[in-house]
Amino acid sequence: MIATGLLTFAMRFVMFSGLAPKKLPAMFEEALAFVPIAVLSAIIVPAVLLDSTQSLSFVDNARVPAALIAIATALLTRSVVLTITAGLAALWFLLFLGY
Amino acid sequence: MPPSPIIDQPTAPQNSGPEDRPRGAGQEFWRGVLDELPLQLGVAPFGLVFGVLGIASGLSPLETILMSSIIFGGASQVIFSQLWATGAPALFVGGSVSVINLRHVLYSASMAPHLSALPLRWRFGLAYLLTDEAYAVSIKRFLAHPDNPFKHYHLLGAGMCLWIFWQITTIVGVFAGTTIPPTLSLDFAIPLTFIAVVAPAIRTRPHIIACGVAGLLAIVGQGLPWNSWILLAAVGGILAGWLTLRLPRSWGHS
Repeated sequence: MIATGLLTFAMRFVMFSGLAPKKLPAMFEEALAFVPIAVLSAIIVPAVLLDSTQSLSFVDNARVPAALIAIATALLTRSVVLTITAGLAALWFLLFLGY
Repeated sequence: MPPSPIIDQPTAPQNSGPEDRPRGAGQEFWRGVLDELPLQLGVAPFGLVFGVLGIASGLSPLETILMSSIIFGGASQVIFSQLWATGAPALFVGGSVSVINLRHVLYSASMAPHLSALPLRWRFGLAYLLTDEAYAVSIKRFLAHPDNPFKHYHLLGAGMCLWIFWQITTIVGVFAGTTIPPTLSLDFAIPLTFIAVVAPAIRTRPHIIACGVAGLLAIVGQGLPWNSWILLAAVGGILAGWLTLRLPRSWGHS
């Protein structure tokens, strides 16, 4: 855990250190730009689509419509607060309805 | 209204009113705290859920709490716990989390021009506090007022605000997490937070491909040992996006 912590710190510090080149190689920078999208999508998709037994579920899964509402809110408002509020409210409402 | 943490450099806001003027160190610090505060709506449930997850993964309460200050990164800690629970080798856990953390090199690079003149102790402290959420609010401030000599206090305020919330909610999650009724589905706050970050950032075809491939591999790879679907999906998504961006260009040259 400590090693992971040090590695995390190193990645945050590397460009502040004055040792790293001012500009990253273009190819590396291009690839880096996909890191957040790939990593976060990999976390989002199973968290929405897999049910408590870890099996794939589209119907009978209130998280799917709730996530779609959250995506729409994120695209329209670009607001973190509204996205989370809309997503959680949609989920609670659907579960309350017995979805 | 806070911005979503846009992944590439956001542009400076066009019109900053007079109340927006940068002043001294103290004001910049509190401005950072205030800018960061709304994002705690996502951070607080995330911290609670992480506290519960850490214990469920077989970490001790002390280890779970310490992880929030040693690693101090939501996605990294969640993935660390998920891999830890499977008994994966330490090297594999560290390597996977490092791939997840590569995005911090981007943040570091984008902030470096604003901070490189600071003394080492400042750069050390601010690097430790550099998270997705603090980056999102402070880079906007830096770009709006690049000449303010106290601008680094904004990142200090935003970072410390998030740090305190993260530590408190982790501790509450560790000790009181099991009393939160599961019907609240608070764990849904984690994908929701990331949806808020990712959805507005997807703007080009390579972005869509990276997102789709990563999501697909994350599902397909569920049966793999050590939860290695995370690494598979992350690397696959990065490669797919990058290749989509690169290939048409190299075809054009040949």
